[in-house]
Amino acid sequence: MIVGSFAMISNRQTVFSAFGFLVAMIGLAGIFALLNSQFLAIAQIMVSVGAVVVFSMLTILTVNAKEENLPHEPNKTKWILFTSLLVAPFTLLLYKVLATLPNEFVQLETINSKIMGKVLFSEWVLPFEILSILLLSAMVGAIVIARKSKRKERRRS
Amino acid sequence: MTPNMFFLLASILFSIGLVGLVSRKNLFVLYMSIELMLSSVSLILATLSKVLGEASGSVMALLMIGVIASEAAVFLAMIINLYRANRTVDSDTFNKLREGVYND
Repeated sequence: MIVGSFAMISNRQTVFSAFGFLVAMIGLAGIFALLNSQFLAIAQIMVSVGAVVVFSMLTILTVNAKEENLPHEPNKTKWILFTSLLVAPFTLLLYKVLATLPNEFVQLETINSKIMGKVLFSEWVLPFEILSILLLSAMVGAIVIARKSKRKERRRS
Repeated sequence: MTPNMFFLLASILFSIGLVGLVSRKNLFVLYMSIELMLSSVSLILATLSKVLGEASGSVMALLMIGVIASEAAVFLAMIINLYRANRTVDSDTFNKLREGVYND
């Protein structure tokens, strides 16, 4: 998974970094399955791998940026190494903060869709509804943004 | 398998996303780095749900996946729009909002 995400940030061709992202997302779904939450793993595979990654690959292939349209990054490797050095203490800090939490798992049954549905529709109803409105507005916004503007078309013709 | 391993993995993923966000110029790579950071947060939530022994963390991670999906839709539409306008995916090109730059 780490290899996939590293390939994502280091490849020059966008399609290859999308494949690295795919590997990272599938690995994340496997980790969710290791954490005994089946439904989350399946949702991760369906939404992130099935929708988001495929959608971004489709966009990459539709945009089809030529070699000269890709950004010119002459010393990319140097940049990545330098930023990694800068970010490393932050990683350590984040890990140390999270490691103050209790370091053992509670024995519990698998979080399947039944338990999850009960919790989702009793305690978390309001965030769920807000999320549905957010999804609807994101869909409408995406359509409005990606549509060709009429004024430009008129100017072209 | 202790929670610390999962926390370590989540912090490493978050940092890789941060490195990609800072050091690259390609808009697609920036988008995928943001997605990676959000995913690492949902990994932390799922781990906490197992540490505390209740399903709320997993439910929050599920909502997080929905937020990631909607963010992907808007961001990719924006990339398409920007590419159509400028014929490039270089993030240094889009500086119209910067003070004192009038390049068209």
